Amino acid sequence: MACFALFPLVWMISAAFDVTGQISTQQLIPLHRGLANFTQLFSNKEKPFFTWVRNSMVVAICAAAMQTIIGASAAYSLSRHRFRGRKLTLTTILIVQMFPQLLAATTLFLIINTFGKTFVFLGLGHQLPLILIFGGAALGVNTWMLKGFFDTIPSEIDEAATIDGAGHFLIFTRIIVPLAVPVFVVISLLSFIGILNEYLITSVILGLDGKNMTVAVGLQQFIYGQYGKNWGPFTAGALLATIPVLALFMFLQKFLVSGLVSGSTKG
Amino acid sequence: MKVRLTRGTFLKYAFTYSIALSLLFMGIRFLQSRSWFLSVFFTSSACILIYLYTFHKKVPAKYLVPGVLFLVLFQIYPSFYSGYVAFTNDSNGHEISKSQAISTIVENSNVPFNNAGPVIFKVAIENNSKKLFLIFEYPKNSWWAGNSSSLEQLQVSQIVKSSDSSIEKVHGFRLLNSNETEAVSGDLGDIQVKLKSGLVLQAQDLQTLQVFKPSMVYFPAKDELVNVESGVRYHPNNNGQMVSQSGEALFPGWKTTVGWRNFTSIIHNADIRHPLLKVLAWTFLNAIILVALGFLMGLCLALIFNSPLLYSRRIYRTIFIVPMAIPSVLSVLVWSGLFTAQTGVIDRIFHISTPWLTDSLWARVAVLIVELWVTFPYMFLICTGAIQAIPNEIIEAAEIDGASPLKVFGLIKLPLVMRTVAPLLVASGAMALNNFGVIYLLTGGGPTFPNTNGNAGATDILISYTYKLAFNSQEGSNYGLASALSILNFILIGLISVYGLRRMKTMEGVN
Repeated sequence: MACFALFPLVWMISAAFDVTGQISTQQLIPLHRGLANFTQLFSNKEKPFFTWVRNSMVVAICAAAMQTIIGASAAYSLSRHRFRGRKLTLTTILIVQMFPQLLAATTLFLIINTFGKTFVFLGLGHQLPLILIFGGAALGVNTWMLKGFFDTIPSEIDEAATIDGAGHFLIFTRIIVPLAVPVFVVISLLSFIGILNEYLITSVILGLDGKNMTVAVGLQQFIYGQYGKNWGPFTAGALLATIPVLALFMFLQKFLVSGLVSGSTKG
Repeated sequence: MKVRLTRGTFLKYAFTYSIALSLLFMGIRFLQSRSWFLSVFFTSSACILIYLYTFHKKVPAKYLVPGVLFLVLFQIYPSFYSGYVAFTNDSNGHEISKSQAISTIVENSNVPFNNAGPVIFKVAIENNSKKLFLIFEYPKNSWWAGNSSSLEQLQVSQIVKSSDSSIEKVHGFRLLNSNETEAVSGDLGDIQVKLKSGLVLQAQDLQTLQVFKPSMVYFPAKDELVNVESGVRYHPNNNGQMVSQSGEALFPGWKTTVGWRNFTSIIHNADIRHPLLKVLAWTFLNAIILVALGFLMGLCLALIFNSPLLYSRRIYRTIFIVPMAIPSVLSVLVWSGLFTAQTGVIDRIFHISTPWLTDSLWARVAVLIVELWVTFPYMFLICTGAIQAIPNEIIEAAEIDGASPLKVFGLIKLPLVMRTVAPLLVASGAMALNNFGVIYLLTGGGPTFPNTNGNAGATDILISYTYKLAFNSQEGSNYGLASALSILNFILIGLISVYGLRRMKTMEGVN
């Protein structure tokens, strides 16, 4: 089982350092080792790897931050305030969560196309609309998990703060948020990785050419290219893109496992 | 209420109002471009924001509204918009409105107007706008300066003629000499000057213009296009196109509602129905097999790695998380390399030659292997969580009563695990129905069935088939049909979710 789990990763590493770039002759320990794939990857002007990395980071960080902030503030009001329509809101969010955004990819494309006719920076091929689209999924993705956690913070704390004269904004930013930092780490990391993994909407909105691509969509060009499959630079790039995420995952493994299980088993 | 203007409140108001004002601005711009919903949405969002953050009421709404606005714009509105597009013929060749389509047809119908003869022109740059203009006389004694976007009539007094009656100077313009004219010759070909009579003038060479006359004339009262050359009349049909009596259709068409046609074509059109049925069958088969096998794998691993006998289980757990941590777009592409037939790593390791990815059956097997690889860590984690949540006393009590390990597992552990995990399995099943990334990147839905609409293939699931119809089809994009399929997908997910919610009864006991 461990072999099964690690198999692609091992192959990715070995192919990245194999200068022949041919899958047909490749060995577990490559015969011709070298960094040629990496230099080829970095020097390709038409496929600017570092621009893609920057794009991915911009989109994933902005969108993850947005999802966390929107989810947290919604969860705060749902956890701490009682108001008319609260239960309806909770149910609606739960139902919306069931329908992944990618079902509407066709219409999102048409809508962003209309946006672009009036405001160029909100049109196809730009990163801002993509970030905003992911922001639209925030309520469905994070709210329930965060609300569940906020519920476990005793309300006596904020009652005491209210008596001391703190307003709702102060309570949220000075009491709830600091207490929930570990959960924020997990949630924003999950959002971050979810966005990096998203393919359909990203490729539809950013398009399959140009300098706006993300790493995941861009690297694909090496193996769908016109001039045959170029596995060497692809695996080199994939390895570079994987290492930081993998490291982050391993580092935060403990949080992640507990967060995932508690979030999921509670529903 | 008295408002104290501290730095904090000032920043708050500055921030909210600047956002609200830009939303208002966007609302107005969308009004100008006739995007009604977007205009109403942005304007009312601006009003809501100003109301909410100015008055000290409605505290919960202050925290909820931003998320709700995003949700409405990017999730709920697109869903309803799919509902609308599904009832239109929106596709390549039918993307614009009727008036745009008719003016395009009229513009494209220009034929040389030979009565006019060539018209001599000069190229000039207007002093104010610095734009290129063509200066010409047509018909006799009326002088014009025009380009593609504007046309102005010149007074005779503006024009200074030389002795051989060619133009020497035009007031307000700078005439280009022949070298300069040659330098801009590339731009000249793009300039079309349209006169009020409908005639169009275009540069033929560097000295003369050719006059064109549209052969199509539109009569709004009768809603018909007439070809004045041949006398053929064209009337709109119900598919957003102008058609003559003999059935000749004019391009482009326009976007119009077509009722249930997209849905009925799914049922009646065999080219769509046959692949769709296969796609649907594989969509469900794939989801069910994936969830069943994934759960089995996860459960077995969880049972093995939960027993305290096993040494170094932490390391194994870390290894099992690896598939979750590699961005799946990349790992799936790596898998596609591994599965290359004959020369691929898998075939070389096992000394086989399997037509992975090119044979329908093996492509499906390959898809399942990769999907399992992606999902089993999640299954492992939730099963571990569920097993650890079983109180030890129950198992001890059963063992004291003499239950065999098999019975303990079958009658106690499994039912308890199922109770926590079942709703998650239903949710994973719903997710698996839309496992676009793996299928699209691994096989592209292929190998394709021969002679089908939109290139449906053996491993295509509903969402990837929809994507192909909308963005990747050789017959041209068909957004209407794609949206109709999305609606079908919405309904499927909806049914499964209702079932899942019933099982979960999550709303019980939520305070």
